[in-house]
Formats: sequence, structure tokens, C-alpha cells
Amino acid sequence: MNAFLVYVLLLKAIGSSFAGMGSLPQIQQDFIETRRAITAEQLSQAVLVGRSTPGPIGAYVVAVGYLAAGWPGAIAAWLAMVTPALAAVPLFVLMQRWLHLPRVRAAVDAVVIASAILLLASGVRMAADAWQQLSIAFL
Amino acid sequence: MSSRLSVRELTWIVARDVNRTLGGGLASMELLRRTFIANGSLDEAGNAGLVAVSRLTPGTNILAYCVGLGWSLHRWAGALAAVAAASLPASLMVCVLTIALVRIQDYSLVRMMLAIGVLVATLLVFASAGSLLRPYVHRSALLRSAIVVVVAVAMLLADVTPVRILLLSAVLGAVIGGSTQTVDATE
Repeated sequence: MNAFLVYVLLLKAIGSSFAGMGSLPQIQQDFIETRRAITAEQLSQAVLVGRSTPGPIGAYVVAVGYLAAGWPGAIAAWLAMVTPALAAVPLFVLMQRWLHLPRVRAAVDAVVIASAILLLASGVRMAADAWQQLSIAFL
Repeated sequence: MSSRLSVRELTWIVARDVNRTLGGGLASMELLRRTFIANGSLDEAGNAGLVAVSRLTPGTNILAYCVGLGWSLHRWAGALAAVAAASLPASLMVCVLTIALVRIQDYSLVRMMLAIGVLVATLLVFASAGSLLRPYVHRSALLRSAIVVVVAVAMLLADVTPVRILLLSAVLGAVIGGSTQTVDATE
């Protein structure tokens, strides 16, 4: 997988999530099921590395980028991680103008709730995969 | 907010406080809040605004918080310096750990340890989901939250892609109307 595609796919996953781990369901979909760029086991390892390292939890995507495309992939993943954060600046302005509207606020709330549900589903898949790996290792 | 701190000082403080915390962005935000309030660069109202914006910005909350903090002190120079300081050291550590992991993962003992580690990480994923849901689980918003949960689960079971689930949930939320969240963003 080339680095540009890593950037685009991770930007899509990160840009549609509202927490560090919220990108996990879309990454599972794009990198494992659709493109087969990494395995489910590799994604679990990336999450493990991300959770074992101090700093932003979302930095696990850098491991995903590295596993999918080496160092160029890691750099692309870092760029994809910081790009949505820069949206905080225009959001300051927009928040003052629009967020007091109940329907806008309700739409944002619904997205956050749905992203939590997607995260729970990803957690179940990760646990099943880890349990399978543990069984294989024991045998 | 005043901008007595230089960009270099801002960069150093963000790099130090964000890259020494395990357990997520809330711990880092708390460290940054204490540091910047103590040096007079931030007040409680400004911090509450940064937390609210960071929750509404797509992606990693702590990076959006740092962008907002940097922008409020030094506009774009501060925003770019803060996001780089918050993310580069951790990203390098992730790369080094990943390279090490790739080299040793074929040993069965390592695989067993990895599987156990992933199971523990799974618990943290559930905890992340729980912290996202917590502000919406209260009596006044329970029905609206439950409707969104049921529809999201139904779409998930119907193999709808995550992006579509989020977009359709936003539409559903706007149609239902009324904010489901009453807990303060700084909690």
C-alpha cells in the first residue's frame, strides 16, 4: 500500500471519529477487510503498542501506517492524525455561531454515541482475535 | 488569554505534559490545565472552552486541545508548534516499539504475552467507549440516547459502513432534536 493511500484512508477513519480509539472500526474495515494491507493480529498489536506508550492514544495509527507501508506509511499516518486536530481552530469560530442551536448540538451528540457503539463492536472483535491467538500460543 | 509564554516555552510544556502521561487525553489535559493556569496563560473559562472544542473536533481530543491552546496563545505558529510537540515524541516511540515487536513476535512466549496484552488493551477500548457514552446516560436524555444506540446497533448488524453509520446518526440526532448531553464538558 502506498503512503498517500495510507494518509487518505487514515484521514477518513480519524476524521469521522471523536476519540483516539474511535477510528478503529473504519481502520478495521479499510485496512483489514477491504484492502487486506494488515492482518487483524497486526491491528491488535498496533492498538497494544499505542496503549503502552505515553502520549495521545490515537498515536496507534502511526503503528498501523508503519505496518501497512513502512516509514513512509508511518509519516503519512502521523500527518493523518494531526490534520483533523487543526480543524479545532475554525471550530472555535463555528462553535460560537452554531452550537447553541439544539438540532446542531443533538446531531453532534448522536455522532458521539454512535462512535461509542462502533468502538464497543471493535473491542469485541479484538477480544475474540486475542483469545484465538492466546489459544494458539498455548497449544 | 494572555500570551506571555514564547512559542518555544509553549512547545516545551506541551511536549513534556502530553508525552509523559499514560491513560488518555483527559490526564494530559489536566496536567496542561494546571501548568497553564499556574503560569497565568489560561483561566478556567478558557480551559472549559478548549475542552468543549476538543470533544467536538474529529480525531484525537488531546491534539485538538493542544491546537486550540496554541492558537489562543500564538495563533497558527502556536497551534502548529503545540500539535507537533504533542504528537511527534509519542509517534516516534510507537514506531520504535512496533519495529521491536515485529522482530520478536515469532517466539511463542512473546505471542502469548502479546495476546494477554491485547486482551488488557481490549478492556481499555471498552473503557474508552464507556467514557464517550457516560455523559449521555442520564434520565432526561435516556430515551433520545437509547434511540440513537438502537439505530446504530441495527445499522452495525446490517453491515452498514462506519462512516455511513456516523452520518446517518447525525441526521437522526438532528431529526430527534434536543441535546442529549447535560453533563459539563470539563468533567
